[in-house]
Amino acid sequence: MLKKRKLNIIGTPVPKHDGKIRVSGQAVYGHDINLTGMLYGAILRTEHPSAIIEKIDISEALKLEGVECIITADDIDVNNISYKRDHPILKKGEVNCIRDEIAAVAATSKEVAQNAIKLIRVEYKIRKGIYDPIEALEESSPQINKFISGKYKNKNTAEVFKYSHGNIEEEKKKSIVNVSRRFTLPRVTHACMGTSNITAHFDKLSGKLVLYSSTQVPFLYQRDMAHALKMNPSDIRIIQPVIGGGFGSKLDMYPFEPICALLSIKTGKPVQIIYSRQEEFIASPTRQPMIIDIACGADKDGNFTYRDIKIIKDNGAYTSWGATTPFVIMQAFSSLYQVKACKFEATAVYTNNVFAGSFRGYGNPQATFALERIIDLLADKLKISKAEIRLKNANYKNEITGQGLHYETCGHIECLEKVISESNFYNKKNTENGRFRKGIGLASMLHVGGGAKIYRSDGCGTTLKIDPYGYCTIITGSNEIGQGSETVLAMIASEELGIELSKIKVINTDTDIKPWDVGVHASRTSFVAGNSLLGAINILKDKLNNKAKQLLNTENSDFIYQNGMIAIENANEALALDKVVREMHFSEPSELAIASYFYEPLSQFQNKEFKGNVSGTYAFASQAIEVKVDTYTGNIEITNVHTAQDVGKVLNPLLLDGQIHGGILQGIGYAISEEMIYEEGKLLNPNFHNYKLLTASDVPNIHFYPIETNDKQGPYGAKGVGEAPLIPTAAAIANAVCDALDIEVLELPLTPERVLKAINFKK
Amino acid sequence: MNFNIEIPASKNELIELLSEYKNKKYRIGAGCTDLIMELRKKPEDDLTVINISQINDEDFNNIKLSNNKIVIGANTNVVKICTNNEVVTNFPTLKEAAQNLASNQIRQVATIGGNICTASPSGDLICALMALKANLEIIDFAGNKRSVSILEFYKGVRITDLKKSEFLSSIEIDLNKVNPKNMYSGFIKIGTRKSMECSVVSLAYHIQLNENYKVISAGLAFGASAPTVIFAYDACDFLINKNITELKNNEIDEFANHILKYASPIDDLRATAWYRKQVLFNISKSILEEFSKTN
Ligand SMILES: Cc1cc2nc3c(=O)[nH]c(=O)nc-3n(C[C@H](O)[C@H](O)[C@H](O)COP(=O)(O)OP(=O)(O)OC[C@H]3O[C@@H](n4cnc5c(N)ncnc54)[C@H](O)[C@@H]3O)c2cc1C
Repeated sequence: MLKKRKLNIIGTPVPKHDGKIRVSGQAVYGHDINLTGMLYGAILRTEHPSAIIEKIDISEALKLEGVECIITADDIDVNNISYKRDHPILKKGEVNCIRDEIAAVAATSKEVAQNAIKLIRVEYKIRKGIYDPIEALEESSPQINKFISGKYKNKNTAEVFKYSHGNIEEEKKKSIVNVSRRFTLPRVTHACMGTSNITAHFDKLSGKLVLYSSTQVPFLYQRDMAHALKMNPSDIRIIQPVIGGGFGSKLDMYPFEPICALLSIKTGKPVQIIYSRQEEFIASPTRQPMIIDIACGADKDGNFTYRDIKIIKDNGAYTSWGATTPFVIMQAFSSLYQVKACKFEATAVYTNNVFAGSFRGYGNPQATFALERIIDLLADKLKISKAEIRLKNANYKNEITGQGLHYETCGHIECLEKVISESNFYNKKNTENGRFRKGIGLASMLHVGGGAKIYRSDGCGTTLKIDPYGYCTIITGSNEIGQGSETVLAMIASEELGIELSKIKVINTDTDIKPWDVGVHASRTSFVAGNSLLGAINILKDKLNNKAKQLLNTENSDFIYQNGMIAIENANEALALDKVVREMHFSEPSELAIASYFYEPLSQFQNKEFKGNVSGTYAFASQAIEVKVDTYTGNIEITNVHTAQDVGKVLNPLLLDGQIHGGILQGIGYAISEEMIYEEGKLLNPNFHNYKLLTASDVPNIHFYPIETNDKQGPYGAKGVGEAPLIPTAAAIANAVCDALDIEVLELPLTPERVLKAINFKK
Repeated sequence: MNFNIEIPASKNELIELLSEYKNKKYRIGAGCTDLIMELRKKPEDDLTVINISQINDEDFNNIKLSNNKIVIGANTNVVKICTNNEVVTNFPTLKEAAQNLASNQIRQVATIGGNICTASPSGDLICALMALKANLEIIDFAGNKRSVSILEFYKGVRITDLKKSEFLSSIEIDLNKVNPKNMYSGFIKIGTRKSMECSVVSLAYHIQLNENYKVISAGLAFGASAPTVIFAYDACDFLINKNITELKNNEIDEFANHILKYASPIDDLRATAWYRKQVLFNISKSILEEFSKTN
């Protein structure tokens, strides 16, 4: 007899679906692909960040045995890439950043390809580069990117975003305190463990191209690739091998990918390009560096009155999705905590630096850092507690913000209260005077939690089938990039269909098979793909229920699915699920146990003023971070991280913890250690030796408090969780360090040297 | 990066190979954690690597106590050094240096001999071994042995006293004159990360006291702030016969200055010379301050 019960598997710590193959070394990453007759590609990049190319001589390289093909810009008929189509795949006539691709080789071995690259002679006329975006905006600066349409008055402006709500002048009058600062945020990189890779296989007979690619957005990538190569998108098949880390870095398509395709098209053979670690540092995307000017005020009761923000973003030489981070940044400024008026302007400026891409948080860590630092300064001026000012202005359930974001659920206040009490915030007064100083800092964040409607659709398709043996296959448009979405989808199917996890397969790697989805980003996959799967399950259950009704000769269709059985609650008779499927398939009128569904979140496009309810739901988090600073060395020890996050509903506590730990460590790296160091456009630290990515031994005590607000939009009430844990971390750490040392922090990272300098400066 | 490999199975085979390669290009490889990085940066043609990691010899691969000395075979890996009982009880400075070297994975293969012979100015084990005034046992291609103090071993940036066709066989450290409770010994490593970090500044100290806290022997060395790891002779002399609990602030500063005066750091990506000097001074002070606090 089956009985209705509460959730069975959702909310339990199911280990990752792909965990075993990953830890046992059986997972096939792009680096492991080895096709018959495959050639190895290598790319010649410029030696100078800004130069005229006077001559390229490939003759010596061509003579090398094993070299099958060399291409330069003159050999290819292609379109520019990037979201503004301002990026040539191979550069002709000039180079504008240190990544610039000049030529590419395909050869029978990696060594030959590398040696051939060294034999290509390029003559340059070196120009003075422009590496400071403020200098790039000066009238006298030359135009860096020649492909932009001239939409903006300034020749080096790539993009401008403007937003406002409320009456800022009125609010300024009401303010009794005003604070303004300029914050400078560094360039950091994703440092994925799997370096960038691609294998291209063009079949001359059919004219079709197969790409084994680590992209996060296979369907957009297919379209972009087709545009670049002047092909039909459907003639391009994207297969995703196991992906060794994404974090946003694989949202754009980069030149090495169409280059690899072109080498395969020219040779008719499969070609593989794999970055070395050094190349990964030099040529893969970064987070966008920014200069943020912010002015804020508060009235006599501590209510936030206005925010006036101007941001200059270093766009680098070409535009990537990174240029659109203001979509997210303006949400933080307009809608994190209540604020009556907000004026925002962000300008992306071309320079001869490398271009950024998208990176977990999508501009939000930068914005939250500036905002949460300023809130501490406002509290200091008002002489009220840093906890109090936040609680007073926190977001609340059913709030509709100035930008039109509608918080149908909102755990902001609960998150703040939780970390304030758990960290004993009010009693942690810094009184010490010795070598080690303790401090505590608070910060919150707001991020989309139900996708983000930026493309024509923010949807995801699912095809679901159950076979005659009772196994279930989920064919989902969404992707697994390590975050655990396969596992969560399998859990949902198991919960709803009563099929054990070992009988559930997730197919998600092939654009020829899977239905459309916009991609992995915006913390959207569990929300969007989860809802899409639930939609397909409902359709399939209708079919199964109909058959079961017929078989059981009943009119009641209120079936329970458990342990591979279907039955009406408390009924004596139960049907095996596989039998019902067999009856569907093999008895007249026969029918497949298959269903498809396309889910589109109930979010809106924003209007030209960037107003509108852009996400299906919103996620909130607060962190209280304790530090101990060594005034002898400037080292910051993170002693405790208290983090509360409105996750809607915990779907899988184990995977959630993984996101929290990883995100927080990434946030700590952003706060205290990671920085790409450039001199005249050249990267000086393209290795882990000098790029201080933190390691497992740097993980502090993390106390995580999930807050469940059960959003009716989310699957089982869940919201997106992936980006949130990293977003407030740097802000909370900076606030804690200021609390400990009573210094100003205007830039990141807070390296030991910067901290020691600040301490000495104070003396 | 292409090279031939020779794999001697015993010390004698190694000696034979050294004599065979007397006039040929070769490099010795133990854990190869430094060597491979070096060859990747500067590949050499027609090179042979004599891989000594397979040498099956108790003395070469282990730590032994003999005649009031601890003898560490050059091929002993770093894990053994930080877990060996004799090292842990007698030479905390060496244990701490070993414990914080690289990562657990690298410590399984990296050797003490490799650390000494790489001669990096930031070599952590070198620094601790200097504070312990260790002696190095060297053998040549003919099997002749010689001994040299580690304090005399370094001649310049990554230049050692080791001649071609010689290899480092073992490291000897005299046991303490006092019992462990009268010893004040440790290693301070400054860097950003807790592991996989190359010292930005390091300081090793090994101080022996009599029952009244009077210093009877002192070893102080620092790393990453000069072309080689440096032994701070004057700072050691300064401490001798002083009661370590009764030092005044100006004396502590004087002591730190006796260390700092040997420093000649450079600016590099990891830190400026300014930072290294500040920190070296501060952590030098800290060893004496911390002692007063904890005793
Ligand atoms: C990621 C990483 C992190 C690191 N972190 C640290 C750190 O924190 N602190 C630190 O001090 N070091 C560090 N190192 C450096 C290195 O691991 C150590 O120096 C290690 O002890 C070298 O030992 P090995 O056996 O690997 O030497 P190898 O690479 O095998 O040899 C190094 C050099 O010594 C010579 N050599 C080796 N054995 C002998 C011998 N018996 N006789 C003569 N010559 C010999 C070799 O010819 C070579 O020139 C790090 C290295 C890496 C890759």
